[in-house]
Amino acid sequence: MNIRQAFKMAWKSIWGKKGRSALTILGIFIGIAAVMTIVSVMEGMQAKSMEQFEAMGSNRVNVRVDSWVYDDQGNNIGKDYFPDLYDYCTQMKDVVLGVTPKGECSATVTYGTKSSDTMQPQYNENGQVSSGSYPPRLFYGSDQFSICENLTLKAGRDLTMLDIKNYNQVCVINEYAAKLFFGGVDPVGQILKFNGNEFRVVGVYANRLDANSQEAMWSDNMIVLPYSTRRLLGGQMSTEYVVKVADAKAMPEVISRIGGFLRGIVDSSTGSVSVFSESQWAESSNEYLRMVGLVLGGIAAISLLVGGIGIMNIMLVTVTERTREIGIRRAIGAQRGSIISQFLIEAAMLCGIGGIVGILFGTIGSVFLSTLLVKMTIYPSPIVAAGAFGLSVALGVIFGSYPAVKASKLQPVEALRAE
Amino acid sequence: MAKLVELRNVYKIYGEGLESEVRALDGVSLTIERGDFTAIVGQSGSGKSTMMNVLGCLDIPTRGDYFLDGVDVRELTDKELSRIRNKQIGFIFQQYNLIPSLTVRENVELPLIYKGVSADDRYDLAMEALERVGLKDRVKHRPAQMSGGQQQRVAIARAIATKPPIIMADEPTGALDSHTGHDVLKFLQQLNREGTSVILITHDNGIAATAPRVVRLQDGKIVEDYRQEVEWL
Repeated sequence: MNIRQAFKMAWKSIWGKKGRSALTILGIFIGIAAVMTIVSVMEGMQAKSMEQFEAMGSNRVNVRVDSWVYDDQGNNIGKDYFPDLYDYCTQMKDVVLGVTPKGECSATVTYGTKSSDTMQPQYNENGQVSSGSYPPRLFYGSDQFSICENLTLKAGRDLTMLDIKNYNQVCVINEYAAKLFFGGVDPVGQILKFNGNEFRVVGVYANRLDANSQEAMWSDNMIVLPYSTRRLLGGQMSTEYVVKVADAKAMPEVISRIGGFLRGIVDSSTGSVSVFSESQWAESSNEYLRMVGLVLGGIAAISLLVGGIGIMNIMLVTVTERTREIGIRRAIGAQRGSIISQFLIEAAMLCGIGGIVGILFGTIGSVFLSTLLVKMTIYPSPIVAAGAFGLSVALGVIFGSYPAVKASKLQPVEALRAE
Repeated sequence: MAKLVELRNVYKIYGEGLESEVRALDGVSLTIERGDFTAIVGQSGSGKSTMMNVLGCLDIPTRGDYFLDGVDVRELTDKELSRIRNKQIGFIFQQYNLIPSLTVRENVELPLIYKGVSADDRYDLAMEALERVGLKDRVKHRPAQMSGGQQQRVAIARAIATKPPIIMADEPTGALDSHTGHDVLKFLQQLNREGTSVILITHDNGIAATAPRVVRLQDGKIVEDYRQEVEWL
C-alpha cells in the first residue's frame, strides 16, 4: 500500500467523523498554541533585551564604590574616588578606552516656555506612545562619557577635560532630547536652563536606537553635563562608574586590576567596592527569562500530554469500532504493517491538523500577548512554527502507536466475527 | 489435475483439554483438485465455517497439515499468509463485508491496493470487475445506498478484482432472495468454467446441487464426499 493511498484513507476516516475529530484535535491545538505563544514571546523578549544591550555597547565594566562617611547634618561627605579611577584608567590606555561616572541629576530643564516638568507621553489604546515623551534623563559624565555609552557626535563638540576642570556650564544633548526642546532649530549654541542656571549646548549626539521606538524614549532621551557641575545643581555624588574596555579578552584583566586598585585605596570599614562585567548582568537576565520560559513551557507541555492521551483514547475507540473493517482488510490481504500504518497515519494526521490550527492560534496569541506585555509585535519564528508542527505529528505517532499495534494484532477470524 | 488443497488429518480444537473443549474440525483429510467446483455442506455447528477459515488461511489448524498449492501453510509467517489471501484467494461472505465508508469502486480497489498495483491499473481492473457484475454505473455509490443483491455483487467484484485462482464463498446467497441468489450461483459456475477453482460453503442442499463435488461435514468430520451431475445455470 502506498503512502498517498494511506493518507487518503486516513483523511476519509477523519472527515467521516468531523465532530469527534474536532473535539479530539482541541486538546492538541490548545497545547500547541500555548507552547508556541510562550516560546515565541520568550524568544522575542530575549532578543529584545540583547538588542538593547548591544546598542548600549559591549565590553563594559561597571564599578561601584560606596563610602559611608557622614557629617553632623547626616550628609555623606565620603571621598569621591572618580579622579583616582580616572587617573588609573589613563595608565591602562592600551586596554581601557574610557571611563565615566554615570550619576543622574534631577534638575528642571527649561528652554523658553518648554519645561521638562510638563513633559508627559500620550499613549494610544494599544499602549504605544502616540505623542510627547518623558523628560530627558540628565547624566553627569566625564569627557569619555560618549566612548563608554557608545555615543557618536552628530554636531558640535563633545565634553572635554577642560569643561570638567573649569566647571564650564555646557552640555551635550542627544538628538532625541534636542527634538523635544528645539524642534527643528539647530541646538548647538542654544542656552538651556537647569534649575535656572544657564548651560550652553555645545554638541549633539546621534540616536542609537530607532527614534520612533519605545526604547529610544528611555535610552536616547538624555543630556550629558560635566560631572563637576554637580556642585551647582546638586544631586547624589556619583558612586557608579562605567569603564569601557578595548575587547572582551581584556575584560578579566581590567576587572581584576581595577578591583585591586580600588580596594587598595578604599577603607573597607567605611566603604565597599564592586567591579563586574555588564554582560554578566545581561546573561543573568537572560537566564532568568529562560527559567520563566521553561516553567511556563512545562505547564503547556502537560496540556499537550493530556491532549496526546485524548488522541490515544479516541484511537482505541476507533479501533474497537472498526474491528470488523480491520478483519475485512486482513482477509483481503492487508498485512499487519499496513494496518499499523493506517492507524498511525490517522493519529498523526489528526494531531498534525491540531498542530496547524494551534500554530495559527499560537501566532495570534503571541502577537496579542507581546503587544500587551512588551509593547512590541512578535511573530513566531518559522523554526518555532516548524518545531510545533513536528511536535504535534510526533505526539500523534507516539500516542497512536499503542492503538495501531493493538489493531494489527487482531486475529482476522475474530475481527471478522465482530459486529 | 494438480492438487490445489490438501488437508491431512486436520484438527481445529477450541479450549483443548478443557471440559468445554470443542472440536470444530476433528481429523479431516481432504484433497481438492485445481479448477474444481466443490461445495462444503453441513448444518450449523458442523465445522464448515472453521473449514473455510482454515482453507482461506484466515485461521491456523491446531494439528495436522495443510498444503495449499503445495505450500505448507503452517510454516508461513503472518506476512506470507496475508500475501496468499491477497493474491490466491477471493473471499465472498454471507454478510458481504464491504467497508461502509468507502465507495463501491474503492471497495473493489482495496485488495489491489494491498497487492501494490499502480493507481491506473487499479482503476482499470476495478472497472473491469465491476463491469462483469453489471455495476459499472454505480461506482460512486456507498454500500448502504445499495440493495443486498447489489452489495453482494460488489463483494464478488472485489473477490475477482485480483483475478485469484481460488474463490471461496461462505453462504454467498444466505442473505439474498432466491432470484438474486440464483444469479450469484450462476456467476460462480461461470467463473469455474473459466478455470477458477470455487469452494462454496453452504448449509443448503439445494445450493450444493449446483456443485459437481459435494463434501458433507458433520460434527467436524467428513461424512459424505461425492461427485454429481449438475445443471449448469
